[in-house]
Amino acid sequence: MDLLTIVYLMYSFVSIYFLIFYLLIFIPNRKDMHSSPKITKEYSLSMVICCYNEEDSIGKVIESLLNSSYNNIKKIVVVDDCSKDNSWKVIQEYAKRNKKVLAVQTPKNTGNAAGAKNYGAKFVDTELIGFTDADSYPEKDSISRIIGHFDDAKVGAVTSQVLAENRSKFLEKVQVIEYKMIVFMRKLLSFVDGVYVTPGPLAVYRKDAFDSVNGFDQKNLTEDIEITWHLVEKGYQIRMSANARVFTIVPSKINIWFRQRIRWNIGGMQTIYKYKKHFGTQKAGMLGLFILPFFIFNWLLGLFGISILAYRIARTIFIRYIATTLSIHSQVAVVTFNDISLTPSILVFFGIATIIMNLFLIGLALSYAKEEGKKDRLFNIIFYMFFYLLAYPILLVVSFFKFLTGKTSWMTK
Amino acid sequence: MFKLGNPKNVFWEAFLLAVIVFVFGLFIGTLIEGSRVQEIKSYYENSEISLMDVLALNNVASLENISCGNLIDSNLLFADKIYEESKILDDYDSANKLGEGIDLVHRKYDLLRTLLWIGTLKTQEQCKDDFSIVVYLYQRKNADVSGQATQNVWGKVLQDLKEKKGSEIILIPISVDSNLSSLDSMIAEYNLTDYPVVIINGYVITEVTSVEGLEMYLKKDFLDNNTIYLK
Repeated sequence: MDLLTIVYLMYSFVSIYFLIFYLLIFIPNRKDMHSSPKITKEYSLSMVICCYNEEDSIGKVIESLLNSSYNNIKKIVVVDDCSKDNSWKVIQEYAKRNKKVLAVQTPKNTGNAAGAKNYGAKFVDTELIGFTDADSYPEKDSISRIIGHFDDAKVGAVTSQVLAENRSKFLEKVQVIEYKMIVFMRKLLSFVDGVYVTPGPLAVYRKDAFDSVNGFDQKNLTEDIEITWHLVEKGYQIRMSANARVFTIVPSKINIWFRQRIRWNIGGMQTIYKYKKHFGTQKAGMLGLFILPFFIFNWLLGLFGISILAYRIARTIFIRYIATTLSIHSQVAVVTFNDISLTPSILVFFGIATIIMNLFLIGLALSYAKEEGKKDRLFNIIFYMFFYLLAYPILLVVSFFKFLTGKTSWMTK
Repeated sequence: MFKLGNPKNVFWEAFLLAVIVFVFGLFIGTLIEGSRVQEIKSYYENSEISLMDVLALNNVASLENISCGNLIDSNLLFADKIYEESKILDDYDSANKLGEGIDLVHRKYDLLRTLLWIGTLKTQEQCKDDFSIVVYLYQRKNADVSGQATQNVWGKVLQDLKEKKGSEIILIPISVDSNLSSLDSMIAEYNLTDYPVVIINGYVITEVTSVEGLEMYLKKDFLDNNTIYLK
């Protein structure tokens, strides 16, 4: 058995493992995928929205929070991070019209979301503190569906189902599928205490827990990942409320999408580096036993896989180039029927099995997204599975290079 | 199956199930590959008998007046037979990933072809110029990227040559990395260092050429008038 066959079989095993892993979590918990604990106590809550040059969306975000069905939102702190557009004027208008809305402006631009969020947190003295991005719109009942989780004293934060708001362009439609997959996997991981991020569009924290970790790390490009790992390190549990939905604006242009993904990856690398000492240890609970190994293992697989793929593609191109040149010189057919092998190897069977299992998982995830009247086209699903996902390891390579060389300054929002 | 308070169970359960599924997949794969090896082995057994028959005929021909036509036909038929079987063997070789059984079959076929080469040389001595022997020496395992591309093209050129010339040539492809001392002895006199090469009636051609270019070496006039190795 050659080395490449061993590598392929190893990847097949890993795929089979994770598919079975997710199914084993899903089957006994399928009825609880969209359930939330009832509200037994109306905890006092303040919501913080950080805004930088979001004049078009900030008003709608404020309104969506004002319209929330949760009755105990004491304050909506809207932080303007010294925007250069009319965001501050819009915020002030809302503050004038509604006493719940507190308009604050940072003394100077903080340069990152974490800084603005921490500034807004200073104005919060409620039991719970929630954060929403300035381009994300929580549904009316989203916050109500989150609150009940805090009855468990161990819960430090609750995240929500983040879906794509804009869906007209092809890139946006593929991200719709991606976000639904992420939501599904994250909900499954919440059943094993494996949630590794509380995304910015909508997350609520216990204020004590938030203060115990000193808020968000301003040096980290993905403050939402870092604070989650910090909370888990402290012994808090993270829950996900899959029926608490928030719609966020996703990148519609490839360059903006690229920058966003690079930022996410670099932020993840920064976080891994910060918490590396907990790798494989029980002391930090699931952070060391699952979250860190899960992240690192996935990234290593991605990096190694893209290297193998690049090698195979380069090799094939090189062989085909020489063969084509020689074929033309020798006046024989460039491609003949004999070049196509119709005898499948075991790797083909494993590959087909993996594809079928993945399609099944994707189908399951999309069906559980529960968006009435909104179906994803098969072409988009196939594109997501066979092409879009290929971008992940490439992004990883670029991100790793930037992380190592410290080229992160332009990545902030 | 597990409870939130005991999340570790699902990791081990998934691992165990994955191992079971994976091993089952490997088992099925081994069975499929094994059946292919069995199939090719049965082809080989038949070919082995055919070779013995051809060699026997070659030997008898030197003792009695056996017509060159019969002799050449039997060699040709055998060569064509194992050429077709070698295509199946190559197909299965690229598809089989788990076991080494097919390597042994390759070696056996290379030995068959080496014996055929020896036999046809004797036949050619007896029957002089009725046919040409085209021996294609290539590397099955150790070819580099450039070698693989060259072998791919040589395969097509020789296939076209065979289709064009039919019974005028006996085409014998042999891989040189089967570690056969008889083959090594046969090719030693040519002082070959790089592969693939084609040897037509004793002349070594190292660079890929067209069918028309190869046809030149098949002509009787060429054989009579040229005594050096040409590249």
